[in-house]
Amino acid sequence: MIGFLTIFRREIARFLKVIVQTVITPFVSSFLYLLIFGVSLGQQMDSHQGVSYLAFLIPGLMMMGLINNAFQNSSSSIVSSKFSGDLEDLRVAPVTDQEIIWAMSLGSVVRGTLVALITYLVGSLFMYYQQGEWLHIAHPVSALFFLIVAGLIFGMIGISVAFWATTFDQLSAFSAFILLPLTYLGGVFLSIEHLHPFWQMVSKLNPLLYLINGLRYGVLGVSDVNVGTAAVISLVGFAFFFGLARISLRKGSFQRW
Amino acid sequence: MILPLEIHNLVKRYKNSSVDAVKGVSFEVKGAEIFGLLGPNGAGKTTIISAITTLEKPTDGTVKVFGVDVTKDSMFTKKQIGVVHQEVINSGFFDVEEILEFQSGYYGLRKNKERIHFLLSKLALYEHRNKRVKQLSGGMKRRLMIAKALVHNPKLLLLDEPTAGVDIRLREDLWNFVRELRSEGTSVLLTTHYLEEAEQLCDRVGIINLGSVVCVGATKEIVRQYTLRKVRIVFAEQVPVQSPYLMEVIGKDYFFVIPQEKPLGEFINELGVPTQLVRDIQIEEGDLEEAFLKIVSQKDGQVPL
Ligand SMILES: Nc1ncnc2c1ncn2[C@@H]1O[C@H](COP(=O)(O)OP(=O)(O)OP(=O)(O)O)[C@@H](O)[C@H]1O
Ligand SMILES: [Mg+2]
Repeated sequence: MIGFLTIFRREIARFLKVIVQTVITPFVSSFLYLLIFGVSLGQQMDSHQGVSYLAFLIPGLMMMGLINNAFQNSSSSIVSSKFSGDLEDLRVAPVTDQEIIWAMSLGSVVRGTLVALITYLVGSLFMYYQQGEWLHIAHPVSALFFLIVAGLIFGMIGISVAFWATTFDQLSAFSAFILLPLTYLGGVFLSIEHLHPFWQMVSKLNPLLYLINGLRYGVLGVSDVNVGTAAVISLVGFAFFFGLARISLRKGSFQRW
Repeated sequence: MILPLEIHNLVKRYKNSSVDAVKGVSFEVKGAEIFGLLGPNGAGKTTIISAITTLEKPTDGTVKVFGVDVTKDSMFTKKQIGVVHQEVINSGFFDVEEILEFQSGYYGLRKNKERIHFLLSKLALYEHRNKRVKQLSGGMKRRLMIAKALVHNPKLLLLDEPTAGVDIRLREDLWNFVRELRSEGTSVLLTTHYLEEAEQLCDRVGIINLGSVVCVGATKEIVRQYTLRKVRIVFAEQVPVQSPYLMEVIGKDYFFVIPQEKPLGEFINELGVPTQLVRDIQIEEGDLEEAFLKIVSQKDGQVPL
């Protein structure tokens, strides 16, 4: 238990040490997204299910920031530990694989949620400026549920990828070729209702769609997909990636690069 | 009697390799002893240590720490072990004291300030405790590795070349510290290429070459067994000497090589030269380095002890 808490504390301390990357960067990027898409473009967009485009965009950006940061946190922690050699310390010390996985993915949840919160605050500020009211969270419990599950999932994906990776480039490749397209196509910027039925079907195969829409339901009360379905799919995804992370720790390498 | 470390028939073949890096090694480390694992580069020392710490899985054979197989109950065995890796770790985010605090936490110790400060001063790192690893010199980094290995007061300490790059004075301090640990009951397995230090420090040594243990025994015993005593006698004048041990005569200097077990007095009596003609006697004892070189240059496997 103390081993778990120590790794968790270390994860938090680590991202706080690189606060510029972890907190300021998402602040700037969500500010820019909201400015360009939400404010400029939003004026040309119809409101969707009774919410303005700006409001529609906010939970999508929250989830996008969370996913990226959750993935980043665990994967870069492991990869930089591989680089410096102190990942071996974890293998040599009496901590279990489960403790490592939970501590690291909860670290991801904390950083991801922090970024989502910042995005929410920035978005809320834009809302207030444009529409004269703050963004109220429709279903806080659902919102929290999807934030935590998504943070855990992408924390665990980060762990799995980092354990298999043999170079830094493999991590960026994963981000650029898998994570980014899936988030962009998962309904961050557009409701899939606007899409051709064929592309709607394809989109529904994208697991990120359910996380993004789950959070959108939690924040705004609207969603392209059934929330119950979204919750179930998220939990299945969580179980799957937890299993994958366990295999990665058992089979992957703790050795330094 | 439970031994701190028992290695039985350990075989390790790395992935993508066609030869065994370790070929059926067996030895043990006894309670409160310093055991030196010596061998040329690539002999398999680090591989053996990795098998003990479970960083590498044995291909065959068993490793037991305090009677427990490391592949069966590694949570138990890991708690008993402290290890200093051969390669220095360069963690970039935290300072020396933070690193030791996290390390303590990995071993289930929440409050460990006292021990940490003790180790910091013992290893001459106290005034550097707020520096990041990259701000430390090579020898300081090495000492930090040692402090890390000791935060939880392990009963079995594994030191893989802990003194590489440490200056001579601190090396001396370090070895004294290791002796202190031994007197408190810690068992130590160390590797080093400084054979002179190994000779002074190690109660027993195992010599390993090309993945096989070629010789294990008490350090003194091995030195005695594998070295010769060189004796130089300076006589007052040239004398006729009949001795099977005579190697060379240069003027009045006579050079002999005699077996270790031969009493010196007996040897001189046998020379049959009146003792008043003896001006000077110099004896050069063999050392571990000599024994080591002899042992590792023998090609035909096991050397009988
Ligand atoms: N990760 C690895 N993959 C493949 N082969 C390896 C690996 N690590 C070591 N070896 C090989 O195993 C053999 C033993 O290496 P090891 O590091 O155990 O030697 P050593 O006795 O510690 O040497 P040194 O004194 O140089 O530290 C060498 O032939 C080495 O090339
Ligand atoms: Mg080595």
